[in-house]
Amino acid sequence: MEKHSIVESVLDNLPVAVFAKDATNDFRFVLWNKKQEEVTTIRAEKALGKNDYHLFSQESADYFRSVDKAVIKRGSLMNVPEEIIETKHGREVHLRTIKIPVHDAETGRTLVVGISEDITEHVKSREQLERLNRHLVAANQELQQTQLQLIQAEKLESIGRLAAGVAHEVKNPLALLLLGVDYLAQGIHPDDPNIGRILHQMREAVERADRIVRGLVDFSSQRALTREPTQLARLIDEVLLLVKHELTRSSTKVSVRIEKDLPLVYLDMSKFEQVLINLIINAVHAMEKSESKVLKIRAHSESLEDVVKNQGARKREVFRSGDRVVILEIFDTGHGIAPQDSGRLFDPFFTTKATGVGTGLGLSVARRIVELHGGELSLKNRENESGAVARLILPTKLETGRIRTRPPDPQSEESTPAARKERKEIDTTAEDLTP
Amino acid sequence: MSRKILLIDDEVGFTELLKMNLERTGAYEVRIENDSTKALATVRSFMPDAIILDVVMPGMDGGDVQAQLQSNPLLARIPVVMLTALVDSTELSEGAVAQAGSQLVLPKPVNLPLLLNVLETLLVRA
Ligand SMILES: Nc1ncnc2c1ncn2[C@@H]1O[C@H](COP(=O)(O)OP(=O)(O)OP(=O)(O)O)[C@@H](O)[C@H]1O
Ligand SMILES: [Mg+2]
Repeated sequence: MEKHSIVESVLDNLPVAVFAKDATNDFRFVLWNKKQEEVTTIRAEKALGKNDYHLFSQESADYFRSVDKAVIKRGSLMNVPEEIIETKHGREVHLRTIKIPVHDAETGRTLVVGISEDITEHVKSREQLERLNRHLVAANQELQQTQLQLIQAEKLESIGRLAAGVAHEVKNPLALLLLGVDYLAQGIHPDDPNIGRILHQMREAVERADRIVRGLVDFSSQRALTREPTQLARLIDEVLLLVKHELTRSSTKVSVRIEKDLPLVYLDMSKFEQVLINLIINAVHAMEKSESKVLKIRAHSESLEDVVKNQGARKREVFRSGDRVVILEIFDTGHGIAPQDSGRLFDPFFTTKATGVGTGLGLSVARRIVELHGGELSLKNRENESGAVARLILPTKLETGRIRTRPPDPQSEESTPAARKERKEIDTTAEDLTP
Repeated sequence: MSRKILLIDDEVGFTELLKMNLERTGAYEVRIENDSTKALATVRSFMPDAIILDVVMPGMDGGDVQAQLQSNPLLARIPVVMLTALVDSTELSEGAVAQAGSQLVLPKPVNLPLLLNVLETLLVRA
């Protein structure tokens, strides 16, 4: 009697929860100390003689029972780093539990003795720490992103200044060369046809150098755009007039279809002419060896949601959801894009054309102009036919002019209870069965 | 009867070649001024029918020269064609030439036929 009450008062004053279940009698509880009462909010009178299925949810009881059985089977101590019980008030209590199999030789009974430590506070602060950490990581990412953008902007600005300076210095000697060619061209000796050819090539060389310099400045210039409300159909008409010569010379068929009542787009007309001319000339070049040469120009408008669905997630960063966008597509029946080139098409100076034919600035300049308008430009192979399609996505609002890459939302992952639970289960199975 | 053209540009080689090209047409008598600080004096003594003026020059730039000319009612009437190697100069189509006033900006390298066309238009108007 005396001995019994000493043990009992020791147990009841321990800062940990202690319980014992009789494995030989349906895992009914035979010991339940004070701290265990506190943790579970179940009094000893109610718990003793009952098992987990009487006291906890089916799901929890199943789990406890499986661990208990494993302990007995192994015959040695088991560590459960984290388990959760729900109290009657719906509160979750996180416990770290050690379970020990005990064989009582006197009575022949096998007990599972458990010692649990309430680690709820610890878990909570850990979760808070994790959340804080995620915020920190996100903030850090955003910072890095901004820094990158700043560096990029700074680089562009200094390149822009450099390019403008170089352009000026290069254009003066070019101007001189061209005038020299002009002068000589007037007095060609008709009996030497080579002189005519040479002068022609010199003139072309000067024009080429001039184009490169101009392209470089265009690429790096931060010049503000003069945007005006524009009917795409009119712009396309004008551009087709400008490239008419190229189209007839290459006997390219052109088909234009533009959705009726297409919303206005806010464009810098002259810059956009440049974009479209670049794309069309590229298509004409790509179709040089094609049997049928068809240039198809299509324009329609879509809500942004559909664009995101159809084109992948990148658009979300450029446009705000709910915006209407205009999609302009230029299809060709040319040789298409080789897989190894697809990643480099928009790099400045990337070209597959012969030296002197292409400078490789066309697409990079075009993309830059489109992006300055808050739009997107891509060039891909056509899906079911040979040839390529250049796709422009243009905002229909003036203020959609800034490209913003947002860091991932720190709240979005692991915030649902299901996700949390899944993680927990993975934790326990990972550390659980170490003796 | 040949018209008098004054070239004001610090690029010696360029002005020489432009002079040759203009004079070859037989329609122009051309003088060169490579030092823009002397431009006003040269304009006064030569009294050209038209001036071709570079924008970027050391000392006085094209804009300064232009301002000096404008402040003198006698010289302000002389039509001026500005030339520039700066890339964001206004680019002109031939149609635009007819519409613009006596002040035109053409990009370098110079398109000679366009320049001749511009001069003709300006001189007829003057
Ligand atoms: N419609 C197209 N079909 C297939 N390939 C294309 C098409 N448009 C562009 N390309 C590929 O992309 C490369 C880069 O195009 P980009 O317009 O930047 O330069 P380029 O046309 O070679 O030279 P330029 O500076 O004269 O435009 C081209 O050399 C070509 O290989
Ligand atoms: Mg191109």
